[in-house]
Amino acid sequence: MSVVFGLAAVIAFLGALGVVLSERTIYSAMSLVLNMVALAVLFLLLDAQFIAAVQIIVYAGAVMVLFVFIIALLSPGAEERLRSVELRLLLGGVGAVAFTLLIGRLTLNGITVGAHGRLHGALGPFSPVAVNAHGQVQTLGDQLFTTYLLPFEVTSLLLLVAAVGAVYLSRRRRQLV
Amino acid sequence: MSGLFPGFLILSAAMFAIGAAGVLVRRNPLVVFMCIELMLNSANLALVTYARYTHTMAGQVFALIVIAVAASEVVVGLALITGVYRSGRRLDLDELSEMSE
Repeated sequence: MSVVFGLAAVIAFLGALGVVLSERTIYSAMSLVLNMVALAVLFLLLDAQFIAAVQIIVYAGAVMVLFVFIIALLSPGAEERLRSVELRLLLGGVGAVAFTLLIGRLTLNGITVGAHGRLHGALGPFSPVAVNAHGQVQTLGDQLFTTYLLPFEVTSLLLLVAAVGAVYLSRRRRQLV
Repeated sequence: MSGLFPGFLILSAAMFAIGAAGVLVRRNPLVVFMCIELMLNSANLALVTYARYTHTMAGQVFALIVIAVAASEVVVGLALITGVYRSGRRLDLDELSEMSE
């Protein structure tokens, strides 16, 4: 299990680095696909099978296809020389390392983990054994349509607004803004 | 199994930091959008990790909602980028700065 975690974590990390450090936009997109597939493996390790499937279908499938379409459409104007932003890259790298060290130190000191490596408070009723006995997708669906019904409905409204907004923004106009 | 818990959180933090650095450093709006996706993904990883180790379901439910939010954000953002491109501007965030002046 820790071997799979280590492998997927390294791939996810390298994919994340590739998104920022690639000079060509299409390489960034491919690195992001790599990162998302590795994340789906991590979700499987965390007993979240449905999230892993949605990650592959929605992110690696739909969202990245949209990205690649737009890159293919716009790529002549979308080249970027990284050398001209070297100083900013250096500063960004220092900031990123500092942030990661801060979170890592908090985690290893038990701030986010809790005393004795255990989380604060009582554990909830959804232990992996209980969830697997009831079915992972069934449990998630039950929760989604009972306890979390309002966020779910608001999300559907958000998707409607996004679809209308995208149609409005990309329709052909006589006079471009 | 609980030995991997800090590992997941540190990977999530590293991905978030890389994404944030990318948003600040890169000038191509498409790459900036991909870095935002990276940050949303790292948040998802932290949510699912906490859901798994606290034996709750809320993290997974909200990871699903974050995925939906990310999809809508990409749709609107890419429509904006194509709009900017069709108006004849170069896709460079340093040049698209008149709103900040």
